[in-house]
This record gives sequence, C-alpha cells and structure tokens, in this order.
Amino acid sequence: MFILAMIAVLVALSLAVFRALAGPNVFDRLLAANFIGTLAIMLLAVLGFLNGRPEFLDVGLVYAFLNITGTYAVLKFFRYGALGGEAPPNEEDENRKGFSGVHKT
Amino acid sequence: MIIADVISWVMIIVGSFFLVVGAIGLIRMPDIFTRMHALSVSETMGVGFLLGGMMVQAGFTLVAFKLICLFVLLFFTSPIASHAISRAAMADGVEPVLDGPEIDARSDKHDMPLEDRRKTTTAIDADEAELSASVLVEDEEIEKGEK
Amino acid sequence: MSEALINTVLLSLLACITIGIVRTRNLFGVVVLSGIYSLLIASVMMVLDAVDVAMTEASVGAGMSTVLLLGTLYLTKGHEMKAFKPPLLPLFVAIGVGAMLVYGTIDLPPFGAADQPVNQHVGPDYLARSKPETGIPNVVTSVLASYRGFDTLGETTVVFTAGIGILMLLRRRRKKDDTLREGEK
Repeated sequence: MFILAMIAVLVALSLAVFRALAGPNVFDRLLAANFIGTLAIMLLAVLGFLNGRPEFLDVGLVYAFLNITGTYAVLKFFRYGALGGEAPPNEEDENRKGFSGVHKT
Repeated sequence: MIIADVISWVMIIVGSFFLVVGAIGLIRMPDIFTRMHALSVSETMGVGFLLGGMMVQAGFTLVAFKLICLFVLLFFTSPIASHAISRAAMADGVEPVLDGPEIDARSDKHDMPLEDRRKTTTAIDADEAELSASVLVEDEEIEKGEK
Repeated sequence: MSEALINTVLLSLLACITIGIVRTRNLFGVVVLSGIYSLLIASVMMVLDAVDVAMTEASVGAGMSTVLLLGTLYLTKGHEMKAFKPPLLPLFVAIGVGAMLVYGTIDLPPFGAADQPVNQHVGPDYLARSKPETGIPNVVTSVLASYRGFDTLGETTVVFTAGIGILMLLRRRRKKDDTLREGEK
C-alpha cells in the first residue's frame, strides 16, 4: 500500500519540478519549491514505512523548518531587498518591482 | 486489526489522490494565485490524510508522536508559506489572469494589457467570442459616455 | 525494486533541474532551483540510508547556501548576462571530465559489497565493539560521538564559529533607500 503512496509522491514531485522549471516568474518557482519541500518530507516518511524502519522522521521535522525558513528568506529578500538589518517595508516603491522577471527590464 | 488496516489504506489512498490533484493544479492553472489556491488546499489535505494513515499504521509509539509533530508543523506552516508567496507576488506587481479559458500559462501574456490579451485569446466557441466582444463594446460605450 | 524506481525518478529530476539551472537567466530563479536541487539530493541520500548526510545536505544546501546566495545577489544584479561567445572549451572540458569519472566508476565494487577492502579494514571491529563498549545502538553515532569525540567537538566548534560569523556578516546598518537598487531600472 505504501508503494502506491510512494508513486503518488513521485508523480507529484515530477509535476512540481516541471512547474519549477517552466514557471514564468520566480513566485511560481518558489511555490513549486515549497511544495517540493513538503513532498520531500512525505517521501521520507513513506520511505521509512516502506522499508519498515520509520525512525528517521526527525529529519522530516528539520526539513519542515528549513522549508519555511528558506521560503521566508527569499520572500523577505523580495520585500525588503535585504536579509539582515531592518530596511523599512515599502511595498509601493517602483524600483523594487519587476525584480522577479515578470516585467521585461 | 483488519479495520485499522482498512482505515489507514483508505486514508493513504485519499492522501495520495489529493497530493497528485494538487500537483496537477500546479501545472494546469493559469496564474500564480490560482496555482497557489489549488496547491495549498489539496496539499494540506493530502499531507494530513497521508500522515493520518501512517499514524494508524504506527499505533501508539514514538513514531506516531513524531508524525503528529510533523502534521501540526505542516498544517500551520504550508498555508502560511503559500499565503506569503502570493502576497509577495501581489506586492511585486504580478497581475492575476482575469479572463478567457484559453490563456497559455507559460507565455508572457501577463505583461499585456487586458485588451491585447483578449485579442490574442481564442475563445472556444462563437458565443463566448460574441460575449467578450459585446463586453468590449459596452466598455467602450461607457468610456465614451463618461467623456 | 522500489528503491531502484525512486532512485531513477529522483536522479532524472536532478538532471532536469541541472539543465534548468544552466538555462535560467533570472538569478533568483537559479537560487530557488538550487534549493530544490539540494532537497532532491538530500532525498537521494535518504534513499541510500545516509541519514546524517541527508540532514547536513538539507541544512547546508537548502538552508545555508540559499541565504548566502541571496546575500550575494544583494550585491549584484538579478539577471545573468548573455555570454559573449559560446562556451565551447568549457563544454569539452566538462564532457571530458565527466567521461573520465564515468570510466572511473566502472572499476568500483558493487554498492554495499561486504567483501571489499574498504569494508574489511576497521568496520567489523567497530561493529563488534561499539555496542558493548559504548551502549549506543547506532554504530555511526557511536563512532562519531565516542571514538572520534574530540574530532566531532572540533568540527562543531568550527561550524558554530562559522554560523556566528555569517550572522555578523548578514547584520547590517539601515541604509538609504535609493542606494539599494541602483542600476536596476
């Protein structure tokens, strides 16, 4: 039964990788990357049950934290233009827009 | 024991189904916001069902506790991440695709203004073409009236 | 059987992502794709039962180097320039090195073969002594934390110092707003 779940995870992984490669802008890639992070956790969990040794789920917890941290790092970079420090939030700044490849430069 | 097995199998099948559906939505939807919508909802469903099925398989062990931790973490973080991504896309100036059944998701038509997009859009049947044309005419009439 | 299937799918996806990284011109996209690459190769490590390597790869590849690459992007433009000429010489060098590596793998023993010299040296000794001497069920953990304890302590110190250094590098003063995006228009 777990082989079916594994196949589903692998199919979803392939589709998400396709979107990450084809995605017209960065946010599509980022969405796909977030989904791939979740799928990696599911792959790990299903693999543990498939091999009969489901003890390595701690790695999945680490992946989950890393996933949200990485997504937030990229998004923070987009919004504020920097990772550290406290640059002021400025959504209407036109210079910031078009950074994601949506608009032609 | 048979009942628990059946429950976990059903949950795993449902979870796998939702994961694949979410991935198909990620491929098929026309813009980032609908993709986010299709993905995050079914992702949370799929992950929840899969982890639930595994929990039933694991029984009352440390593994089940880890699975519960994973479930809680993913249940809260993945919708938040999806929301943050779409919000950042909005702030960055990505425009949602608003009309037409035949908009190619992988083209650069996001840049075009609405009228150009309508011209390049091939409507499926004549009714819809007529409809969108009439909407365009109405828009123009309204603009003239305002002037 | 299933392991071969998983490995095949993951490795072909890795190849696809590598081609995508080479072809993508938007550097943010490249950063995101390299994060995906790290996650996938960490999954491959999980399939190969190397849990510690998988954990390290995920935290260094998907976590740390994403942050470092973003910090680098802050200093540069977000778009890659077109090459002035087609990079033929690097292509040939890469193909030659790849062919040599593949040729080198032909002589390797099969994966996990127990009668090879690499598995005959100290491995059986550790396997026999680790449980009664240390009481740790995982042999890798017992080797890392007990037999090579000082080595691990040194590594941890180095990694901790590196983390502190990166934190200090990433903390900046607040800058004027218009200096942020010069040259982006």
